[in-house]
Amino acid sequence: MHQPPPASCSRSSRCECARVGVRVSALAPSQRPAPLPAGSPAPLPPEPASRGTSALLPVRLGPWCSPTGSPAPLSCETGCGEGSWILVCRLLVPTQVNLLSMEEDIDTRKINNSFLRDHSYATEADIISTVEFNHTGELLATGDKGGRVVIFQREQESKNQVHRRGEYNVYSTFQSHEPEFDYLKSLEIEEKINKIRWLPQQNAAYFLLSTNDKTVKLWKVSERDKRPEGYNLKDEEGRLRDPATITTLRVPVLRPMDLMVEATPRRVFANAHTYHINSISVNSDYETYMSADDLRINLWNFEITNQSFNIVDIKPANMEELTEVITAAEFHPHHCNTFVYSSSKGTIRLCDMRASALCDRHTKFFEEPEDPSNRSFFSEIISSISDVKFSHSGRYIMTRDYLTVKVWDLNMENRPIETYQVHDYLRSKLCSLYENDCIFDKFECVWNGSDSVIMTGSYNNFFRMFDRNTKRDVTLEASRENSKPRAILKPRKVCVGGKRRKDEISVDSLDFSKKILHTAWHPSENIIAVAATNNLYIFQDKVN
Amino acid sequence: MEFKLEAHRIVSISLGKIYNSRVQRGGIKLHKNLLVSLVLRSARQVYLSDPCPGLYLAGSAGTPAPPTPQPGEPTAQPPAGWGEPPPPAPRAAWPDTEPQPERPAVPDAPRAVDPEPAAAVTGAGDAFRGREEDTAEAAWGRVDRPRVAAAVAVSDVSPEGASVGCPPTREEQPGASPAADCRCAPRPAEAEPSAPPALYPRKRGAAGAGGGHAGCPALCSTPLKKPRRDGGEEDGEEEMETGNVANLISIFGSSFSGLLRKSPGGGREEEEGEESGPEDAEPGQICCDKPVLRDINPWSTAIVAF
Repeated sequence: MHQPPPASCSRSSRCECARVGVRVSALAPSQRPAPLPAGSPAPLPPEPASRGTSALLPVRLGPWCSPTGSPAPLSCETGCGEGSWILVCRLLVPTQVNLLSMEEDIDTRKINNSFLRDHSYATEADIISTVEFNHTGELLATGDKGGRVVIFQREQESKNQVHRRGEYNVYSTFQSHEPEFDYLKSLEIEEKINKIRWLPQQNAAYFLLSTNDKTVKLWKVSERDKRPEGYNLKDEEGRLRDPATITTLRVPVLRPMDLMVEATPRRVFANAHTYHINSISVNSDYETYMSADDLRINLWNFEITNQSFNIVDIKPANMEELTEVITAAEFHPHHCNTFVYSSSKGTIRLCDMRASALCDRHTKFFEEPEDPSNRSFFSEIISSISDVKFSHSGRYIMTRDYLTVKVWDLNMENRPIETYQVHDYLRSKLCSLYENDCIFDKFECVWNGSDSVIMTGSYNNFFRMFDRNTKRDVTLEASRENSKPRAILKPRKVCVGGKRRKDEISVDSLDFSKKILHTAWHPSENIIAVAATNNLYIFQDKVN
Repeated sequence: MEFKLEAHRIVSISLGKIYNSRVQRGGIKLHKNLLVSLVLRSARQVYLSDPCPGLYLAGSAGTPAPPTPQPGEPTAQPPAGWGEPPPPAPRAAWPDTEPQPERPAVPDAPRAVDPEPAAAVTGAGDAFRGREEDTAEAAWGRVDRPRVAAAVAVSDVSPEGASVGCPPTREEQPGASPAADCRCAPRPAEAEPSAPPALYPRKRGAAGAGGGHAGCPALCSTPLKKPRRDGGEEDGEEEMETGNVANLISIFGSSFSGLLRKSPGGGREEEEGEESGPEDAEPGQICCDKPVLRDINPWSTAIVAF
């Protein structure tokens, strides 16, 4: 394994990633000096692009987000059947241009009318590619196609503004990954953040893993609110003083300063994957994590970046016999030896790492027999699982394929215990969806904190929630047009055929360019984050 | 009949996707190309097993708009075939059933992507009609070494290994264009063949120049960059099917002149399936300002006034 030179870390004297050492291997792609992208934060010349600092910007979205009325209950026991969902705030993943503008322009309406609504500002690099709450729900991280990570922090409850709790504001922004070029294979490596996973908090700093197609990075996000003053050899501006002019010595003291949030890359786990990484998952032992690409799964230790264990390898000896690839993988939330991975054939394999070093032989194999009446050209594509998630209890797994969400009991392998149709009206449109590539969209699915409700996205900025207990489901829309602040979301309905009622939308008028692939649910409260292209919507449950 | 049109259309769309995947940022995506190859395989299976074999759809630059495929339609096709997952095993049986080494003389051989070598096409052209889905499946599957063995007999291409045999043979035979796209269809996801792969692209490049495939020599430059692999070296030397897909594309690009132009724009044209009329929600549905108790749906409760 090759540990690339930590070009991304400027504090090489203090940073851990410099101490790991470099072992040169002939296969290592040379690090292209990354030019500072236009959107990189704080363009100080010595600052490398992947290290970001940002002042804690009070990005107030103005009266648009002011809460009114009674606050929502904090319990997640209500499920989705007894409450309604209100929009808390809509956040744009800000580019640097937007950030600078926002500092000057406090008036929300002006912002809304000028460039937030202006599609020319929504570049492809701003498309959100992953959303993840941390373990307490206080922080919400998003990754986008431009390789940036933006972390939002929940506003603290204050006596003056009791009702403002629940809003999320920008906490930190940094450039996690840069586009790279693999000279050996003549391939460009996208900087798009595929997944972000938080580590549980063990000290004052926050740690998260972010990955693109090839490289996983461990980032430390820490606050700094004090700085040392009173150096002897440097004056206040940092200029060196002539030692001859120093007559007295003083002890530097720490003085408070404006809060600054820094993000530093602590580990870079590179060069372990030939194929594109699609998932990462932190183990419940908090010491290891796994990264999965199309054909292999590697087990890493957080401290060791130049080695990883390969625990699953489904690459056939002859690539022409390839029939399935790994699409997602996740560790069991409590059992540190158990993990599952899903395949493009619609199967899930549960593996126990105690059985053998290489977990090619599964411990459990979950597959539902195919319904022969539904066969079509595209049966294989729509049965490919795009996401797999353990329930918080660890008893169930949920899988998402193109048209359905399925809940499986770990104790029953031959079929799922629940199947929910997300947008079955698309079944007759598969050919068109194949043509415009929508059939390859990888939707994610999430559990709520109590495992009673599951949520997944759809097209036209619709997202669906299914209550497992009451068997109720709802379709909601995350859109700018009909989302006034604190407004209750109106359930939407897609009319399949025949007579279209007044509020329904017909299948043919769905906008397939507006898709909700990534959603996240607060671990303990009924707060959800929904990513629609470059917008992040945060909704909160409100029970009267 | 409609099925053949639909299958043919799907095949051309799939080829366009594979063609375009090589220029996509981030490299070729294994998962997507695998799925596309599966669709290709299914479509070809439908195409071949259709009872009217003489249909030659080449030359139709714009495919007539096929009827919207009903999910049940393909099942009207020989249903037995659907139940077959693409197994490696039948392919091993392929050399036994393989009648002839390539002679791509069948003019009415389906222009659809034909994964076997020309030998398969000739034999397949007639024999497949009567064969069971099993064999058709096997024929459609990615044939490697057995195929090469057949190919060796015809051409003087040395048996270098799986992927080597077919394309050079293709190039040398002018009439081979329809069949040249054989065997490559389900191979977009392939990586390094176990045989020395470096020879394969170079041979293609040389043969391609001679074969007059316009798109080929330029495209073959990419596989030439593949590092030579000594047999057995596994770690780290793996490719991501770049070379093979590039060859695949070059074959398709030059063969399907009627369906796909050689320029990259041609492929995109085929697969430009923009959703017609993705209008926004009707304005009449925006009504979140006033508190309204709409219906018994628990999700629509009173709105807290601002």
